[in-house]
Amino acid sequence: MELNKSQPMIAAKGLTRIYKLGGSEVIGINQVDLEIAAGELVILKGNSGSGKSTLLSLLAGLDRPTRGDLTVANHDLNQTSNSELTHFRRQVVGMIFQSFNLLPTLNVLENVCLPALLAGRSIAESRLKATDLLKWIGLDTRLNHLPAQLSGGEMQRTAIARALINDPSIILADEPTGNLDSHNGQIVIDLLAELNRKWGRTIMIATHSSLADSQATVKLFLKDGMITNHL
Amino acid sequence: MRNFIFFLRLFIWFSLRDMRKHIGRALTVLLGIALGAAVFTSVRLSVNASLDSFTKSMDLIAGRADHVLTRPGGYVAEDLISELLNHPAIESASPVLSTYTRIAQDGAEPFLLVGFDPILDRPLRSWRIRAKSNPEAFVWLDLLKDPYTLILGESLATEFNSASGDVILLEHARQRSNFKVLGKLEREGLALAEGGRIAITDIATFQEFTGIFGKVDRIDLRLKPFATAKDLDDIRNILPEGITLNPPSTARESGQGMIRAYQLNLSILSFASLFVGMFLVYSLVALNAASRRPELAILRSTGASGYHLFFIFLAEGALFGVAGWLMAIPIGNFLIKYLLHGVSQTISTLFVRVQVETLTLDGWEILLSFSVTVFISVLAAYQPAREAMQVSPKEALEISQLGMRPRKSPRQLAMGGLICIVLVWPLSRLPAVLQMPLPGYLAILLLFVGFALLAPWALEQIGAFLSIKLRKLAGMPAYLASRHVRDSGTRTAVSVGALITAVALFTSLVIMIYSFRQTVEFWTHETIRGDLFLTTKMGDMNQFRYPIAQEVIENLQAFKDKVDIVPNRRFFLTYTNFPYEFELLDIKGFLKYASFFWLRGDPEIILPKLIRGEGVIVSEVFSNRTGLSAGDAFRAQVGESSIELPILGIVRDYRTRGGVVFYSLSHFKARYHETHWGGMRIFFKDRTQDLEAAVSNLRADIIEQMGDKVDMLSGQRLRGAVLRIFDETFAITTVLLLIALVIAALGIATTLTVLVLERSRQLNTLFAIGASFRQIRSMIFWEAAFLVVIGELAGVVCGFFLSYLLVFVVNRQSFGWTFLYGVDWGSLSISIPLIIITALAAALPAVKMVFRKPPATLLRER
Repeated sequence: MELNKSQPMIAAKGLTRIYKLGGSEVIGINQVDLEIAAGELVILKGNSGSGKSTLLSLLAGLDRPTRGDLTVANHDLNQTSNSELTHFRRQVVGMIFQSFNLLPTLNVLENVCLPALLAGRSIAESRLKATDLLKWIGLDTRLNHLPAQLSGGEMQRTAIARALINDPSIILADEPTGNLDSHNGQIVIDLLAELNRKWGRTIMIATHSSLADSQATVKLFLKDGMITNHL
Repeated sequence: MRNFIFFLRLFIWFSLRDMRKHIGRALTVLLGIALGAAVFTSVRLSVNASLDSFTKSMDLIAGRADHVLTRPGGYVAEDLISELLNHPAIESASPVLSTYTRIAQDGAEPFLLVGFDPILDRPLRSWRIRAKSNPEAFVWLDLLKDPYTLILGESLATEFNSASGDVILLEHARQRSNFKVLGKLEREGLALAEGGRIAITDIATFQEFTGIFGKVDRIDLRLKPFATAKDLDDIRNILPEGITLNPPSTARESGQGMIRAYQLNLSILSFASLFVGMFLVYSLVALNAASRRPELAILRSTGASGYHLFFIFLAEGALFGVAGWLMAIPIGNFLIKYLLHGVSQTISTLFVRVQVETLTLDGWEILLSFSVTVFISVLAAYQPAREAMQVSPKEALEISQLGMRPRKSPRQLAMGGLICIVLVWPLSRLPAVLQMPLPGYLAILLLFVGFALLAPWALEQIGAFLSIKLRKLAGMPAYLASRHVRDSGTRTAVSVGALITAVALFTSLVIMIYSFRQTVEFWTHETIRGDLFLTTKMGDMNQFRYPIAQEVIENLQAFKDKVDIVPNRRFFLTYTNFPYEFELLDIKGFLKYASFFWLRGDPEIILPKLIRGEGVIVSEVFSNRTGLSAGDAFRAQVGESSIELPILGIVRDYRTRGGVVFYSLSHFKARYHETHWGGMRIFFKDRTQDLEAAVSNLRADIIEQMGDKVDMLSGQRLRGAVLRIFDETFAITTVLLLIALVIAALGIATTLTVLVLERSRQLNTLFAIGASFRQIRSMIFWEAAFLVVIGELAGVVCGFFLSYLLVFVVNRQSFGWTFLYGVDWGSLSISIPLIIITALAAALPAVKMVFRKPPATLLRER
């Protein structure tokens, strides 16, 4: 879908997600209103349980809101069917997780190719693109290594390459440096910043860390599921 | 096409590589499936080989005849031929006689001797002679011209090492005679019947050899192409009373029916091994789906659809089916060597003679075996595949703890299980379908499914009930084990289901075989009474068609001061394709020493009537198969007489070649026609002497007096032989059972091993907070004990229900008989603990797995 550049990349109004736990309810996020333009690098800050990961999961199409409107890259995520959401996750969003979430039986190249293959691209095309990405990211000597043979930083860089393979409109990262030392964490942040600056990707990073503070163009603060500050 | 290739690639990346990492588990499941498939296939191929051998023989002997004239229980007059050949609709007619005979030497195997007119028979049967010196035409002219000549099938010629011109001594019911061998049959047509163990002779020679003059067993007819139904009626009208005109397939079909009933029962039993293997597949695929849930969520989050995941796991099931079936080939090859001989021997002993030369690989059977194996493996993977499909992509995030679906209560499954069990009773009351106990088998399947579905709920309840008590009695390891069992839900319940099935099968078959054996033993003791049984040579093989020679009967009168002789005569008849024996018996003489094994009717009222010849009694099998019961009329054509007599009562009888009808010999002779003794039982009047020695002496005396003219068997040996045949028949069943138990034990081993590996983080955390190695291993052992004991107990309960179904439903509908229900408590009380010990031993690998890696490593790892 061709993006309408005048439209915000993310538009949320009254966005709410409530979880049922046994007999009680837990509010993930509550009445969040948000507009993020394309090309921003957004930092999402807040304590544990503030709703950062909840918000990211909604934006990534991994979950559905309980109430409110949500449009991401011109996709109305309230109205989409399950198959449309699958397509959304393939083509529109690139997701980076705190625990890397690489498939242990696939090597680096295969892990990166996977979303492209899921999107219906040929193996040759997928391999070519994946190799280029891994070269850019500095992992061209690790193509045939399994995740168990990589360091934490290498695993996260692989995950970044995987997130980029389908040229997504938006990249969402949930605590991408949470399991990394400061050196590797900085490398990851720098990569994401480069993606934003050079390639104009919209990036949202949920993080405790301050490594990305200087790179952010927008800062959001969450507390108890609500945005308390928007810088 | 691209989607398919991508799916294959995803399957290799995701499933096959993981299987390769855990090759032991995969091989265990494959072994289970392979064993089940091998047993199923080899049993069916073995029985099919016998069925094919029988059918082929019957068809070759029938040749091109499209109708056969016979007189049930008697012979057809030979002079009918000329009238038949004059009928405009009849193209050819050939009188035929056949009998089993053998070389007159100890241990000689019998073979089929066929007598016909070579000229009249030519249009009906294919056979060619191979003779060294003479052309073929001269050879069969010699056959016509010279008495006591014959032509041997190739197998016989090789076996006897006979060539043209050799003389062989053959023995039969009445006499021994020398036959000159004129040549060999070419290996085609009739020569292939009976596995090549066949010889042909001229009809006149045959009649002289067997003492049947002017009569034949049957006349085979071939009608002209334009013959109509009216012509058939016309032919029937010229036939004397008591002669029937039927297609040649009638005799073949009744034999096939008996073999097929046996095949079905063995197939179902062997299918049980595959069924247990199905649990194994379900167990591993379900555990894979559960333990790799985070990876499934990752796949979903990167764009895989639910259907991708569904088909991945379905494909895993299919792979187990296909690979397991391929692995079954060498196992099946090994099994079939033993089964082929055993099964054909059993069929020959119990039902009809078969001569299996080679095993033919029937394409349909191979396809059936492959399809069934793959189908049940895919079916087993269906539910885990459906659950995998429902993995949410949000589980890829750590917050998946929130909003997670609550653990499903097994109550729904238990309700389903109860419904299945409740349906068992009404299903078991339904009649057989096409003479197959299909409702009975369906009831058995529902019983297994019902108990398996109840297993998770039972585990939950028992785990909850026992946990506090166990903490007091056996400490924390037992408590934690019971809690885990309570919370593990369907994952452990599947292996318990497999164990329930295997133990239920074992228990029910132990009970059924014991009940059957006890009943048969009682029957042999009561009804197959006799110190010495005497028949014509090869009487049983020739269906007692040849009466005992008068001179033998006269010679035996010399022993009348010492013995009582109880004669009988048996006719092998059919009641609309159902075979049965019509046995004429000296009822009064019989009842002096023996008794019938009553099922229905008051013997005090019935026996006097039976002695007076006022009616017949029938066996349970005859009654169940024909639908005739006490009070109904029994009608039959026996030789030249039409019989109609009331049925007075029903007795139990365990002869395997159909039903039995008993009538008084003397009253038959008085009322219908003269008939001669076909066999006799001899009882010593002095019951206090050493009967074994007395029998031995009597045999020697008889041989001394009249030569080796009759077959004699002591009653003790006969009764022993019956039970020995029984034991041998069920040996196959026992082997199949043990295989099912092995497969179930494999299931327990697999489940426990995988569960331990999955929980390694949890178990090592326990260690980190203060549990010792011993306590943790003890906890795993307690879990195994729970699963095994609960599975065993439930299996025993299920087994008792199943035994009722087997005894009173399946056996009745398959074979027409029931037996007295009895439980072999001795065997059960030894075998059940043995099964528990074996299953617990299967859990040992899991216990050893617990601390394969140092705990610190596992706690540090993600």
